[in-house]
Amino acid sequence: MVRRMLQCFVLFGLFSSMAVQAAGAADKASDEFVQMIVKLIGDSDKEFRAAGLEQVRTAAKGTAATQVFASRLTKLDDAGQIALLHALADRGDASARPAILELFGSSKDEQVRAAAISAIGYLGGPADLPLLIKTLSADSAVERSAAKQSLVQVSGDKISKTLGADMKSAPPAVKALLIEVLASRRASDELPALVTASVDDNAQVRGAAMAALGQIGRPEQIAEMLPGVLKAEKGSERDNAEKNVALVCSRIENEEQRGKSVIDSLNTVAPTDRDELLALVGRVGGKTLVNFVAGIATSDDSSRRRIGIDALSKWPDATAADKLLEIVNTTTDPAERHQAFQGFVKVSAARNNRTDKQRLDRMKEAMKVAKTPEEQSLVINRTRTAYDVEAMRFVLPYVDQPEFAQIACETIVEIAHHRDVRDANKAEFDTVLDKVIEISKDPVVVDRAQRYKRGQTWERPKRS
Amino acid sequence: MLDAAFEALKTFDWGTDLAVVAPIEDAATAAHDKPELRRDLENRLIAALNGKLTRDAQDYICRKLTTVGSAEAVPALSVLVVKPEHSHMARFALERITAAEAGHALRGALAYVTGITKIGVISSLGARRETASVAPLGKLLADPDPAIARAAALALGAIGNSESAAALQSALQSSTGSLPQLVDALLSCAESLLTSNKPADANSIYKTLTSDNHPRLVRLAATRGLLACASKQA
Repeated sequence: MVRRMLQCFVLFGLFSSMAVQAAGAADKASDEFVQMIVKLIGDSDKEFRAAGLEQVRTAAKGTAATQVFASRLTKLDDAGQIALLHALADRGDASARPAILELFGSSKDEQVRAAAISAIGYLGGPADLPLLIKTLSADSAVERSAAKQSLVQVSGDKISKTLGADMKSAPPAVKALLIEVLASRRASDELPALVTASVDDNAQVRGAAMAALGQIGRPEQIAEMLPGVLKAEKGSERDNAEKNVALVCSRIENEEQRGKSVIDSLNTVAPTDRDELLALVGRVGGKTLVNFVAGIATSDDSSRRRIGIDALSKWPDATAADKLLEIVNTTTDPAERHQAFQGFVKVSAARNNRTDKQRLDRMKEAMKVAKTPEEQSLVINRTRTAYDVEAMRFVLPYVDQPEFAQIACETIVEIAHHRDVRDANKAEFDTVLDKVIEISKDPVVVDRAQRYKRGQTWERPKRS
Repeated sequence: MLDAAFEALKTFDWGTDLAVVAPIEDAATAAHDKPELRRDLENRLIAALNGKLTRDAQDYICRKLTTVGSAEAVPALSVLVVKPEHSHMARFALERITAAEAGHALRGALAYVTGITKIGVISSLGARRETASVAPLGKLLADPDPAIARAAALALGAIGNSESAAALQSALQSSTGSLPQLVDALLSCAESLLTSNKPADANSIYKTLTSDNHPRLVRLAATRGLLACASKQA
């Protein structure tokens, strides 16, 4: 018995000793590996450095190794620090965080500081929110941008809730950035805070809030967004606010439900404000809303009629075209008629889900009811939206009429721009383009006509 | 049917309708898991190869022997492998016949071939990855024809075991400067050793290649190799 116990002790001791030796060998190999990486990340040759950084990203697992790598941060030059910060961020071990924060505090280089802030986005948590939010108002644009990205990236419980709460007391510029962060985080729990911000006194905050609601808002927010539209200043802010509401509306797939939802939402605002929102209704579009707005555009109140016609003119598709044409043909007010005519031509030229022939037929209708040279010119101009040889044939007679010749030449080269239309009718286009070259006074139009005749293309100058 | 196919083989060329040799194809497929059928077909192919045939027919038979050939086929292929006009297809078969006799025949052929044919035989020895080939290939590292020395280095690299690495390292030490083919071959060896879970062996090769007398890209490749070894050992 005693002998057996002694044997067991001896065997146990032998195995323990072997296990310790094996562990020791593994530790030694691991240390050598880490030291090899450390040596490489400080190498002056960037490809050797990259080989080491790749290992920081993917190999030598464990907190101890991470801390060894992180401790090298202060020993490297700026470029080396930035590269190592990115690698540590990719490594994803939060134990590098203290060294990164220390470097952020001590470095004077904005690129290094920005890289540190970026890394915190991957490795940090709720405790880092004050620093990241503070950096949103840093002097350096790269640091601000990195902080914003990190706030989007950082993970942890209740991050969005904290951001939503901090947003309320933040200065406007920071508030706007935090709103963008919440939208990027798709923080739907913070929608009430965004709705509140959409009527902020600061235009930058309002714009950010409406954009955020446009990105993550749900149909339930449509009514809540309307005060934001009304508070937006007319011009680009109002346009953007309307577009963001239309974006949320577009998430309702059923057209009838979408229309009903918009009408119900309109009923939540004061009657005096509703007409101001008709332009928004126009942006949402759809048959249900056409009838709703057409009722206003043909009502007894002339000021409401103008707003209604304006809304129909902003329709995103051609469903409002018939109503507008009806107004053109029936109204006795010349100004209203002209407004409706312009709207009719505009919505008829819309490209969505309509053929070139449908657009051209609408232009022919418009030409029949056009009363002034200005209206005729508008029709000739918009005929360019029909990429069809028939559109060219429709415009061609106007080339011989001096008052329409220049706009007709311009429209013809626009149609000829489409190679498939032009090449399928080359002989006919060549003859017409010869005529354009002879008549047009615009050197760009003449140049384009010459190019198209030679089978060349033309690059539209970019708008500055 | 098979008799007719072998008869047709006598005048076969690659322009012939392959339907005439289809019975041979079918027999090769049928012999897949039937050793007797396989042996019978192999014997018929060997007999045909020893007879009077067109070059294309010999080519065809060599191709078939890659699937049904064994040590029995080696003598017939050994005759062809030293003939420059047939060497390529004979090697094609000898490279793929798993019997050790095939490797032995290729090593034996080294003494009887020269120039491009010899380079081909060396390359086939590399493809077979036999340790027995290391010594004869090692001797060729010092061949006065640089193309043969290069082919031998690459073949040793393809064999990729500790013995071939030792032969290459020995040649590298006795050479002046860093001969690219020796370095390439050594890197191949190290990679093979690492893949076959021998990081310590691979490590010692990579270490020799990180010294300053090697070009930067060699040192970089060796450094990456060292990291891979260390990663495996850690």
